[in-house]
Amino acid sequence: MTATAEPRAVSAPVKLLLILVAGAAVAIALGVYGNEHTPTFSRPFELFFSDTINLKVWFATVAVVLAVVQVLLALRIYGKLKWPRTAPPWLGDAHRLAGTFAFLFTLPVAFLCLWSLGFQDHNTRVLVHSLLGCFFYGAFVVKILAVRVRGLPNWLLPVVGGVVFVTLVGIWLTSSFWFFRHVGFPEI
Amino acid sequence: MFRKVVNVVEVLALVAAVFVVVMLLVAEPEHSTAATKGGVDIYNPETGALPVSGAEIYVARCSGCHGSDGGGSSGPRLAGKVSDDFPDIEDQIAFVSKGKGGMPGFGSTLTPAELRLVVEYTRTDLGG
Repeated sequence: MTATAEPRAVSAPVKLLLILVAGAAVAIALGVYGNEHTPTFSRPFELFFSDTINLKVWFATVAVVLAVVQVLLALRIYGKLKWPRTAPPWLGDAHRLAGTFAFLFTLPVAFLCLWSLGFQDHNTRVLVHSLLGCFFYGAFVVKILAVRVRGLPNWLLPVVGGVVFVTLVGIWLTSSFWFFRHVGFPEI
Repeated sequence: MFRKVVNVVEVLALVAAVFVVVMLLVAEPEHSTAATKGGVDIYNPETGALPVSGAEIYVARCSGCHGSDGGGSSGPRLAGKVSDDFPDIEDQIAFVSKGKGGMPGFGSTLTPAELRLVVEYTRTDLGG
């Protein structure tokens, strides 16, 4: 009689722990980079905007709008919204696409923040913004892995998705929304 | 078909994220004795050179918020105004050094000489 060595399945708690560790590593790495990097206080690019700050304000706003769309689509997928009555088959793909574009819009903003300003803490708003900015990408990594890895608890995805969304809204409130209130609506 | 488009966009997003990380690491200002003044990096990413005048420090450190002409952006206007706000230059230097509200303090990233250079620039060349 020969014993066949079957690969041991990794338990759900271990998978969850590994995913959380990966997310934490990303968030911490960004924080360390932002802290160690020498801020340039420069404007390395503006794309098609008249000023870098305008780019940041509007890209962050577009990202939040897309995130709202993604949450609405997720609510329909989970049956929390009843409209449209029959969910179209492309709903899941549209949810993914909205989230991917939201993420893409955050990238230039994150680069400009990290490169030009780094991790700042000279007042509460800026400190909260810096912390949330680092936390967001860690939470985003957890969400992506939670989508891809099988055998995780069902509650994980909506919870992590909600955390990512709330974090993005927090980032927007401490940056673009603050800008709208204290400086005004910038031109494109 | 739609799913394929979504898959392609996701791959592109991953590539973009990697690109951003690489750019952050590759474009990091060099930490060498030649790139520091008083132990503090002053780096101009456009030219790779150290600012040697108030104008260059202003462009590197201040124009992002106060505008290249001092006309203001996310930060308040300086041109034609800052000398009225700070009749005594020492008060303005102290303000720039310590910061307040949305204005970061530059006392830990600029030397006293550099602080004075850039403040003088805002009061003279910018028409402060």
